[in-house]
Amino acid sequence: MPAGRVTPRWHTAGMVVMAPAVAHRGGTESRAGRDDVLALLRNGSGQRPRFDPGLAGGLRAWLEDAACEVVTARGDGAPVLFLGARQLLGEPGNGVGEAFSWPMVTACLVHALFRQIVLTGSVGDPLSDGTGALRVDPGRAGLVRHIEALPAPEREALAGVLAGHVAHLTALTPHFAPGWLPRTDDRVAIPLAGGRVVLHGVFDLLVGAPVAATASQCALGLTSGGPWERAWRVLHYLALLETLRSGTPPFRLALIHSASGRTAVEDVREEHLRAVVAHLVARLSGIAGAHG
Amino acid sequence: MAEGPGPARLTDLLVAPAPAINPEAWRAATAWSAEALSGLAAGGAGGGPRRLTEYQVRRALSSGDPWPETPFAWSARTTRRALGLHAVRLLVAGRVRNPTDGVRAALAEATRGAGDGRRPRCAMDRWLSGLPPAGRAAVGAEAVTWSTRLWCALDWEALDGPVVIGRDHWWDGPRSSLLALRSRAEVRTASAHLVVLSGSRRSSVRSELSVVALVEALRSREGYVPGRIVGWWPDSGHLVRVEVEPAVLSEGVAAVETTLRGRQGRAAA
Repeated sequence: MPAGRVTPRWHTAGMVVMAPAVAHRGGTESRAGRDDVLALLRNGSGQRPRFDPGLAGGLRAWLEDAACEVVTARGDGAPVLFLGARQLLGEPGNGVGEAFSWPMVTACLVHALFRQIVLTGSVGDPLSDGTGALRVDPGRAGLVRHIEALPAPEREALAGVLAGHVAHLTALTPHFAPGWLPRTDDRVAIPLAGGRVVLHGVFDLLVGAPVAATASQCALGLTSGGPWERAWRVLHYLALLETLRSGTPPFRLALIHSASGRTAVEDVREEHLRAVVAHLVARLSGIAGAHG
Repeated sequence: MAEGPGPARLTDLLVAPAPAINPEAWRAATAWSAEALSGLAAGGAGGGPRRLTEYQVRRALSSGDPWPETPFAWSARTTRRALGLHAVRLLVAGRVRNPTDGVRAALAEATRGAGDGRRPRCAMDRWLSGLPPAGRAAVGAEAVTWSTRLWCALDWEALDGPVVIGRDHWWDGPRSSLLALRSRAEVRTASAHLVVLSGSRRSSVRSELSVVALVEALRSREGYVPGRIVGWWPDSGHLVRVEVEPAVLSEGVAAVETTLRGRQGRAAA
């Protein structure tokens, strides 16, 4: 067995690699209201799909092989490698010098307002509420200062943009009963290769409680801009991380594009997870190759 | 040491009886630990009382410096545990039916004084009372997520016997007031202490949890053996358990010593 490999290559390398491309195939897309989104999420939810208990272990073994290649290539003294959707799936914008770009500022405020809508069901003044929410996170202090220092015309423009996002969010975000256990910003971090490589991500919204062997959670993703296809791939990536964390993926995913009001719902299938793993393995091999 | 994910396994670890320990060896280890800590307290440089929490122990073991560069500040992150534990207590008591309602009740109680002119009970309540509704909602959202994860992680009906949720324990050195240690655990049963962990999985976590065992052993009646210490990362679902035995106490003392040395190094710099 090659150094740094935890399972023989033939155990995993022979797995069928599914194309990770069009991610929302089979999904139900609509411009409907929040009740319709909720109905799509609930439809048939009494018959929760069961996933092979060995699925998570198989996916993890595949990833472990690739992660061990990375660790071997980087050497023993290398620090822990944290990889999120941005590094693994690519993310437009937000590069060097764009720390407080318009899309980034909008995304942070929209995300804060989305959390408020999920918890309270309403938003007052979007810009005021958004900055008020960001203020309770010391990590966003610089962003708050940036927003507060914007010239009046830019603040007005930002407020107008936010009002559009909020209108879509309030129209589309389902009112989940508290008994569904809705929670926002649920972070997932999966250590591989003994913790030397960590795959991480954050669910915008999860509902339902994890149950062994039965998919019982729904995940709702929010994108305030950027490519629709990429937002789906991020949701599939998060579904994979949840599979590795709790043993089963969410059984259904929903995506809301707050700028356009576009929304879609789809079931999670094993091929989605395998496609994401195939992509991650290729990405990790690329990282290993870059260090080799 | 580390074990894979599984809520059922987490509950099992909290109810399974702890392994038997030789009483003589345990008493000797406890006495040695108290003596060693007294020595550390008396011989330490830097002066002044030392009140060590698990946060400082973790920082010292991972970075060598127990004190953060930036001072403590209230935030959604630093309030989520207190509010989340309040919510879980209400859930276990049957006073609310879900974490969201529990956090709403916790927030209402924390800010009640502000509405009728009374002084808030503590610094956190004062900070919460001064927040605008949007800020309070952001804090609440963070606490809902924290409490939901803990609520879903355990089969609460399977936890027989008294369950203590979120009560931190302090041990004060008996011979001087120079050293005090805190044991933080989110859920305590008759046979185990569950500690919710954050950050990356790290090799030092066993030492961190050993300090919990050390405090529990020192503050209890003579001969009492605290149950196992179970660490749980909600982010990954991974568990780590420390079965309490005499060697764990010496590991805890070593962790305290490392933390105190880090403090001395900071003071000297």
